[in-house]
Amino acid sequence: MQIYLPIAELSVNLFFLVGIGGAVGFLSGLFGVGGGFLLTPLLIFSGVPAPVAVASVTGQVVAASTSGALSHYRRGGIDLHLAMYLILSGILGAFGGVATFSVLRAAGQLDLVIAVGFVVLLGFVGILMLQEAVRALLKSRQGVVVRERLPNQHSWIHGLPWRVRFKKSRLYISVLPVLAIGLFIGFVGSLLGIGGGFVMVPALVYLLRVPGNVVIGTSLAQVVAMMAATTIMHAVQSQSVDILLAFCLMVGGTAGAQFGAAAGQHLRGEQLRGLLALLVLAVAIRFGLSLVLAPDDVFSMAVTSVVR
Amino acid sequence: MSRLLALLLIVLLSAVPVCAAARLVSGVSNDTIQITSSFDGERLTFFGTIAPEAGSGQRYVEGPFDVVIVVLGPTQDRVAREKTHNFGIWLNTEQVEFKRFPSYFHVLSSRRLLEIADINLLNQNFILPEAHAMIPNIAGFMKTLVFGRELIRLMSEQGLFGVQENGVQFMSDTFYTAQLTLPSSAPPGPYIAQTYVFQNGQIIARKSEGFAVRKIAFERFLAQSATQYPLLYGIACVILALFTGWLGGVLFRR
Repeated sequence: MQIYLPIAELSVNLFFLVGIGGAVGFLSGLFGVGGGFLLTPLLIFSGVPAPVAVASVTGQVVAASTSGALSHYRRGGIDLHLAMYLILSGILGAFGGVATFSVLRAAGQLDLVIAVGFVVLLGFVGILMLQEAVRALLKSRQGVVVRERLPNQHSWIHGLPWRVRFKKSRLYISVLPVLAIGLFIGFVGSLLGIGGGFVMVPALVYLLRVPGNVVIGTSLAQVVAMMAATTIMHAVQSQSVDILLAFCLMVGGTAGAQFGAAAGQHLRGEQLRGLLALLVLAVAIRFGLSLVLAPDDVFSMAVTSVVR
Repeated sequence: MSRLLALLLIVLLSAVPVCAAARLVSGVSNDTIQITSSFDGERLTFFGTIAPEAGSGQRYVEGPFDVVIVVLGPTQDRVAREKTHNFGIWLNTEQVEFKRFPSYFHVLSSRRLLEIADINLLNQNFILPEAHAMIPNIAGFMKTLVFGRELIRLMSEQGLFGVQENGVQFMSDTFYTAQLTLPSSAPPGPYIAQTYVFQNGQIIARKSEGFAVRKIAFERFLAQSATQYPLLYGIACVILALFTGWLGGVLFRR
């Protein structure tokens, strides 16, 4: 069954859209990430124009993260005070990201920056996660009890000025690294059409030492608020948010996420992180190859004005 | 400027029929093509008959005739880009912009175009796809030529440009029909179908018809809201997303 997307101006199979939404939703539920980093490339590879894909996935990430954020909120798993700092700086970063997005699109280098961004970001995060997961797996196999680093171990980050007390996270740290993380994720997320949960969670855990019981909820709350703001910015700036496309993805995504979350309970934490790392690396390699290998067609085209 | 005037003059001169003893009576099956949510392309039928010029006293016209139909979509500014290998990676380095380039261009003809008329006459009337890429451009002649050819190839691969040299069928000596399937990727906007009647390599009659491709009902509402009320549209997207996410959580909660 074909459905015509009014903003992308092409017709796509409805079951295909709901299907990839569901499949990515399943993975996002399984690993506890938004899934934007999989959905955006999938849409681009299946013919949706890159600007429409990035902007519409932003809307889908909001939906995918909402149910998770709400359930964490009910369990008291969100540090609202910390989330507020992250959201405000994230929205500021997203302003920069959306503006950069328009400039790059006009210069014809958007695809390049998206590809390089995915390679660098996903490659880096993927390798770190894989290392950590393999180490944990090896240790648990040898029967060694993995001793996690304690939240009260300090690093140079804790010596910075403007310290604020975050009660729920039991932290008394400088706001500078918090704002920097928010800015970075806002910028990268709006540029690449990803929520950035898989960057946010490690950053909160390893850089700020946010305790495990609030880290996922706080990250999800930040993703919901920041991506909601980014969706509105994309709608105003580039008018490339396709509400029908986003809705089809949301329906598949929210359903898939529930099954993914259920399936995730049968796997151990290290195994999950290892699998996620492989997935993240696979996407990075796919983008890397597209940069390095000779393209099928060295010529491409784009529309630079609206239809008259 | 003078070159432009010369071009205009050529076009105008070629518009003067050599033997104006025929006229074209033609029509098109749809004057609007409506894009609904299930839009998956649409088939158009062009038809017409070649009749003696009114008031000429002629009873019938004598063939054989050739008919060429040029279907032209709304224009857009389009760029063609070329990737080159730099520092180990492939990136877009060169680009040529083509202003007011047709977003859709299809030619239907009753015979091979080059058998119907001289290539210059075809180019002057923008009947060949290449003619659209030969408009003088700031990028310079050679670059325009190379990038223009590639742009036309890319457009053809997407089904937006095309030439069907057996697309027009004659049912009798003077009555023809032609069918064209407009793909779902054809952009909305005003379209023009130019019909030319050729005899002995000259244009003896021409007529143009307009039709529109437009979004209707819900699709139209969405597209209009997105461009006219972008802020409200964005907020609506977010509310929809929040609601869908919340509903999903409620429905599947265990």
